[in-house]
Amino acid sequence: MNVTQNWLKTYIDFDFSPDKLAERLTMLGIEVESVKQLGAALEGVLVGKVDAIRPHPNADKLVLCQVDIGETDALQIVCGAPNVYEGMFAPVATIGTALPTGITIKRAKLRGEESHGMLCSEKELGISDEAAGLMELSSDLSIGSPLTEALGLDDVIFELEITPNRPDCLSMIGVAREIRAETGNDLKLPQVNGQEGEADINELTSVIIDDPDLCPRYAARVIRGVKVGESPAWLKQRLESIGVGVINNIVDITNFVLMEYGQPLHAFDYHKLTENRIVVRCAAENEQIKTLDEEERNLIPDMLVIADAEKPVALAGIMGGYDSEITEITCDVLLESANFQPSSVRATAKKLGIHTEASYRFERGADPEAVIPALDRAAQLIAELAGGTLCEDVIDVYPGRREPLQIQLRAERVNFILGTTLETNEIEQILSRLGFNVEASQPEENIYQITVPSFRGDITREIDLIEEIARVYGYDNIPTALPKGDIPIPAPNISVEVRRRIKHFLLGSGMMESVNYSFCHPNCFDKIRLAADNSLRDTLKLRNPLSPEMSILRTTLLPSLLENAQHNHNHQIDNITLFELSTVFIQGAEPARVAGILAGEIGEGVYGNPHRSPDFFDIKGTVEGVLDVCGTTDYVFKKTDDPTFHPGRNAEVLLENKRIGILGEAHPKVLESYELPYKAYLFELDLEALADAADFSKRFEPIPIYPSVLRDLAIVVDQEMQSDMPIEIIYSTGGELVESVRLFDVYVGDQVPEDKKSLAYTITYHSATETLTDTAVNDLHDKVVKQLNQELGAKLRM
Amino acid sequence: MKTELEAIQAEALEALKDVNSLDTLESLRIAYFGRKGKLTDVMKGMGQLSNEERPIIGKLGNEVRAALTEAFEAAKNALESQQQEQQLEAESIDITLPGRKPAYGKAHPVMQTLERIEAIFMQMGFQVVTGPEVETEHYNFDALNTPPDHPARDLHDTFYLTDGHLLRTHNSPVQIRAMENQKPPVRIIVPGKAYRVDYDVSHTPMFHQVEGLLVDKHVTFSELKGVLVSFARQMFGDQTQMRFRPHFFPFTEPSAEVDISCTMCRGKGCRSCGHTGWIEILGAGAVDPEVFRAVNYDPEEVTGFAFGMGVERIANLQFRIPDIRTFYENDLRFLHQF
Ligand SMILES: [Zn+2]
Repeated sequence: MNVTQNWLKTYIDFDFSPDKLAERLTMLGIEVESVKQLGAALEGVLVGKVDAIRPHPNADKLVLCQVDIGETDALQIVCGAPNVYEGMFAPVATIGTALPTGITIKRAKLRGEESHGMLCSEKELGISDEAAGLMELSSDLSIGSPLTEALGLDDVIFELEITPNRPDCLSMIGVAREIRAETGNDLKLPQVNGQEGEADINELTSVIIDDPDLCPRYAARVIRGVKVGESPAWLKQRLESIGVGVINNIVDITNFVLMEYGQPLHAFDYHKLTENRIVVRCAAENEQIKTLDEEERNLIPDMLVIADAEKPVALAGIMGGYDSEITEITCDVLLESANFQPSSVRATAKKLGIHTEASYRFERGADPEAVIPALDRAAQLIAELAGGTLCEDVIDVYPGRREPLQIQLRAERVNFILGTTLETNEIEQILSRLGFNVEASQPEENIYQITVPSFRGDITREIDLIEEIARVYGYDNIPTALPKGDIPIPAPNISVEVRRRIKHFLLGSGMMESVNYSFCHPNCFDKIRLAADNSLRDTLKLRNPLSPEMSILRTTLLPSLLENAQHNHNHQIDNITLFELSTVFIQGAEPARVAGILAGEIGEGVYGNPHRSPDFFDIKGTVEGVLDVCGTTDYVFKKTDDPTFHPGRNAEVLLENKRIGILGEAHPKVLESYELPYKAYLFELDLEALADAADFSKRFEPIPIYPSVLRDLAIVVDQEMQSDMPIEIIYSTGGELVESVRLFDVYVGDQVPEDKKSLAYTITYHSATETLTDTAVNDLHDKVVKQLNQELGAKLRM
Repeated sequence: MKTELEAIQAEALEALKDVNSLDTLESLRIAYFGRKGKLTDVMKGMGQLSNEERPIIGKLGNEVRAALTEAFEAAKNALESQQQEQQLEAESIDITLPGRKPAYGKAHPVMQTLERIEAIFMQMGFQVVTGPEVETEHYNFDALNTPPDHPARDLHDTFYLTDGHLLRTHNSPVQIRAMENQKPPVRIIVPGKAYRVDYDVSHTPMFHQVEGLLVDKHVTFSELKGVLVSFARQMFGDQTQMRFRPHFFPFTEPSAEVDISCTMCRGKGCRSCGHTGWIEILGAGAVDPEVFRAVNYDPEEVTGFAFGMGVERIANLQFRIPDIRTFYENDLRFLHQF
């Protein structure tokens, strides 16, 4: 909402500079989003009168004007505007003026004739885009006065952000009340001296409220014999200064008083109301109304309407009806000032999609006590400015009248909550300035009875009063302290530790962390080739998604990472090593996952560290590392038929026969879906399962004191044999003297028979209790070789 | 013989001067000291000397041998050093060739910021707590003093699920859950994702928040200020100024929006801060008594404060990314920058 400095000053005196006022309002909780000096750029532009015009001796399209700017000598100004005439009032930019267009006016000679200034168009002054001719000023302006002052442009516009709890600040008087809290100056409210005519309103109309819950108050006045027309300049200026459109004097007055008091008003053409009366009721089944914006609206029975004897004539608190609006021929006006229940207005406005200045205020809660002052003020202005006669008396149906709210306030509690040491008189003063009635009910205990003014519907509790005190006292004045209470002892959290270790490991391994939206496209499951009955397809769906790409909650991280790979590849980045740690969403749970992708090239791709393509064993090693840092050892990799992966290059990770994750080479069709021209390796692990299995207990093991003996062993076996089978036999045969077995070569080729391969291992023999002799190691090694031959048919490769 | 010896010494020393390789040095050594060497030859003649001469010449012979040995040794050392120098020179490399950098990954910039925020509050005794992102109206709104027709619900554009749940619009529901699960004192921070229907250069439909909650027998607004000032100094530098402005949140009372002095202009006013010198970074306030009632805490027995901040916003005070949606494209050229 916008307010202006000049308008505010009609209700309260203050001598803050615009910036200072903005700062004070902001620090009171009324955030000033911008401060705009209306006429700042027009300094030096005066009201001038063209006294005489002569032709320019050297130019057909130019004339020489003698312009009066209130000084002894008239200025000679060369002008080319088509609409200039003798006696015209127009703006004059004097020598030295810097116009908003960037031009600075200098003394100049135009085709040999001196020009001492410039007559301006609206465009040249930055007032509008009108550039066809000079801006014509009203001839009642005083010659020589600064244009900004003459036009009311010497004003400052403040754009305010009013929080939803403060509908009372959605008006000039409301903001003036906040300035009163700050300055202590008195409010100057408009004086209304109800000059009433002969006719009694009660003989002209009536008001019935059918639903008092939705309409706590409805008041009306009738003004007869008005002349609908243009508003006077001052009224138009006020409305235009805060961006309200000008319509006609009657409507402009209702808008003006709305902005002044924050009380929405509506003017009906009295004669267009059937039986000239008002019924406030809920809409009937299938009722319709054509609203002021010329839209036909279908109503439903829980919408509150203002009706005449037969049909709705306005949407209560939202918008008037087209058929009863004020027109040029209106002569008698029924003026409505009412109060409506916030949630009802809110629901109706939302259903119909109409949001107006009126609905905005009623939704947040208007002051029921502003109904009559605003009505009287508007009625009087109509009588004054539109020449009507006010009918005697007011109809005021007020079923929702309430006693003012009283709240008990403990001064001690104020300081207890805020950490301040406010004195009782400071508290009293702040509350009084805010319009609260303060009465010391138990003075010896500093307990007060506070009466809340009707415009502060947001204040219902002691804590609300404490906030008011804090706000006016100034948050910046509240001292700063550190918490004194005990620090609670947190419970150990193994998942946090598991996450931390995994993240450190993955970063250390060179992978980049990615963070993706929790949303995905429902087609992602087809893209990763999930079976139709896969439970991952059972997703949570958004009712109001931003787009199909963001319409469901992901159940797996893999599609996001594949999309990341696709995005990067499309931007010629092909060293794709990414991981993500995130929760996924399955029905009723949000398990955490860690997933990763390796694709394209790994390595720096520089001399000495060339690129290479990742392979299955890169992703396997990564997963092994993740499992290792969790302290889990009993994991098993087993091939699966998971359709996301290459059927011969994937593995599930089993912990105690429970699947905790999967890894492998993406299936070529998956790569196709994501338009990746190279292989991609993926893994995804369940973090909860890892946390359950994690073992961070460590025991010291003595550093070996006896030397180890290394023996290499190359055996020839069937090609299909898995490389871990010989290892198991080596361990079981060698017993505790085998410290470790390392596969260091796999060979297939001319040196071995077809269908065979050679596996080469380094076995480390070690005893914790003695130095092993060559003979002992040789004997054991021979035993191992024999056993391999017996069990696997493995032959030593010579 | 004496003259002979002296001549050999002079000749050998002269010859050494021309030696420029270890090989020629060795031949020269053999020419003098070898079995048939000149010095050996001369010394063989010792037997023919008289008894008086022999010790004198013998002594002289030893002196000459010692002097020459030393000279040969010195020449050898010099030649060896020279040779090593030549070798080192030959081994010289182009040190501008690229280093072999061990691969290392980088945490996502939003996560880096979030982890820094966490660390600062953990130092102040706040415990990290997390909770569900799919929530109910009750935890996201009602328990936070935001009933269905409350205009404050307009502040949050909520994603609803088809099953009637919603995506939390802030991390505050976790505060409610934490209070339901534990007795005061409570001193927690809640990092994590939140969701709002918003998608433009300064909004992503998913974003990260860190919320905090402190509840105890007597927690004051002063302490809220203290904790946040302490946070801001650590996060943004110890020159950082802070400003608390009254604001409205349904779940806190009194409520505040908190600004820090602009990190660009140090409070003088610039384009980044809209010429105000201040940048809003978080919302905070004393816990509203209605919120305590919703979790069966007695607001006469405990007081508390809560605060919440957007991680992307704070991250971007430093990073200055013009379109924050870039955070979630996971473009590697972008991720490698942080
Ligand atoms: Zn700045």
